[in-house]
Amino acid sequence: MKKYWQIFRISWQNTLVYRLNLVMWRVRLIIDFLTIYWFWWAVFTQYQLIGGYSQVTMLAYLLVASFLRSLVFSNSSYSACVEIANGDLNNYLVRPINYFYNWLARDWADKILNLLFFSVEVVLLVLILKLPLLWPISLGQWLWFILIALVAALMYFFFSFLVSAFSFWYPEHDGWPLRFVMLMFLDFLSGMAFPLDIFPPALLQLFKLLPFSYFIFYPAQVWLGRLSFAETITGFIIMLSWLGLFMLLTKLVWRKGLKIYGAYGR
Amino acid sequence: MAVIEVANLKKYYQVWQKEPGLTGSIKSLFKRKYEDVKAVDDVSFSIGEGELVGFIGPNGAGKTTTLKVLSGLLYPTAGQVSVLGYTPFDRKPQFQKQFSLVMGQKNQLWWDLPALDSFLLNKEIYEVPQAQFDQTLDDLVSMLDLKKVIKIQVRKLSLGQRMKCELVAALLHQPKVLFLDEPTIGLDVVMQQKIREFIRGYNQKYQATIILTSHYMDDVKELCDRVIIIDKGKIFFDGKLDEIIKKYADRKTLEVVFDRPMSKKDFSGIRAAKIKTFMPTRTVFTVKRAKVNAIAAELLKSFPVVDLNITESSIEDIIREVFTGRDLS
Repeated sequence: MKKYWQIFRISWQNTLVYRLNLVMWRVRLIIDFLTIYWFWWAVFTQYQLIGGYSQVTMLAYLLVASFLRSLVFSNSSYSACVEIANGDLNNYLVRPINYFYNWLARDWADKILNLLFFSVEVVLLVLILKLPLLWPISLGQWLWFILIALVAALMYFFFSFLVSAFSFWYPEHDGWPLRFVMLMFLDFLSGMAFPLDIFPPALLQLFKLLPFSYFIFYPAQVWLGRLSFAETITGFIIMLSWLGLFMLLTKLVWRKGLKIYGAYGR
Repeated sequence: MAVIEVANLKKYYQVWQKEPGLTGSIKSLFKRKYEDVKAVDDVSFSIGEGELVGFIGPNGAGKTTTLKVLSGLLYPTAGQVSVLGYTPFDRKPQFQKQFSLVMGQKNQLWWDLPALDSFLLNKEIYEVPQAQFDQTLDDLVSMLDLKKVIKIQVRKLSLGQRMKCELVAALLHQPKVLFLDEPTIGLDVVMQQKIREFIRGYNQKYQATIILTSHYMDDVKELCDRVIIIDKGKIFFDGKLDEIIKKYADRKTLEVVFDRPMSKKDFSGIRAAKIKTFMPTRTVFTVKRAKVNAIAAELLKSFPVVDLNITESSIEDIIREVFTGRDLS
């Protein structure tokens, strides 16, 4: 266990070397947030209610979506695909270290650092933009939210690893082509820019079956208290099924991938 | 007892070929012709404890592939491999704690941090006790003269300094088996010499079993009693370095200096001597071992010889001739 703690620490040290890089990344996220925020703000100057959202709930949704983005999507493990493609994976395969735990430790280093930044930013945004804040109203809602947000982060970890594993078979461009496609889907289908329930019910039903909505949209709904208990449970079961499937597939694909792994780059 | 045992190892890769040009690229989008490359083709050898063995061979001979199979990076296509009693590809932590792979053109150090941070990480990864870590680090740092270097960002180090740090990172857990893939590549002569001395020192101090690949004959000549020569995936020679000379060099080199310019035609009478390099006043012949004395005598008798030197062919010459497939006899 101690080795993964050390990896956590060295990841922080590594990130802190590039202060500017880190700050720029956060600036990018804030601009992203402001773009979406002002868009919806403008929309609500004309309408009272959209898809069951008032201005206050919509802005609160965007705020919690932004938090979830920092928690779920911040990761450094996307570079696993680069390591597979260029052979740096060798460094891990010859040492007594678990590649998954290694990246899990590094991802959490990344997430915690991002959340620290987020918590400062959110205070500033709330003060400057006078953002409305909505909090979960019961302890139960809090606990559900925490649990679901953590499962979402774990689910994304395995999902991202599955995408990376394609580099075993298609190492061209360090595995980026597929990842770009995936990121486009994520932006749209996870509910980062808008809540998915502003779509017609049939489309929403489809989104609920896909894994993407469980990264942002579903935990955000739990935070806002927009789901009944039955809906929460149903969502959680679908989410766990996806997590199980991703874990299983990752294990299989990884085992097959290592057998054809070329250990390139000399 | 053998530490490394390899029997009938084969490793085949699939590659596809592309016709040159854009047309070829477009064709290759739809149809790719795959073929097998036999990187290692039926190789067997066994290495005992404390041996320092040199792997030599031209680029693409299969040296690195063999090391990668021995380290558990590559899954063998066929054959048995055992290192310290383990099957490398199982990648058991108990096995991994006892060996190290150093690649001259790959690094394991964290690029943006000082080497010391990577060392501390390896201490945890290999679960090295604090006291042993301090002792080993101290040892290695003074052997390699790195005291002032290990707290500087790795990206700011020179190639030689970085290579030394790579070695330290690989040796902190005192591996019993060490695979060195071109550890001196790209280094200047002085640094090469230092790395060599260090490798020898480590071999003797820790009784470590070492396999080393190199393009520099000097590495192998100075360090290895035993060499394994690989070419096109097959073992060509396995034995003591001087046996190569006995086995393949049945010719000696005769260097003759004349006191006036000669022409090539003048030597046409001496059939048994092949001209290796010709200069009007200094010519080098290669001559069959058995005929050296007779030919030397004849040269002295019939030519204005100032100086005459008889030497063994150099290992480089022999190996070069072996690899270019020239007839040695």
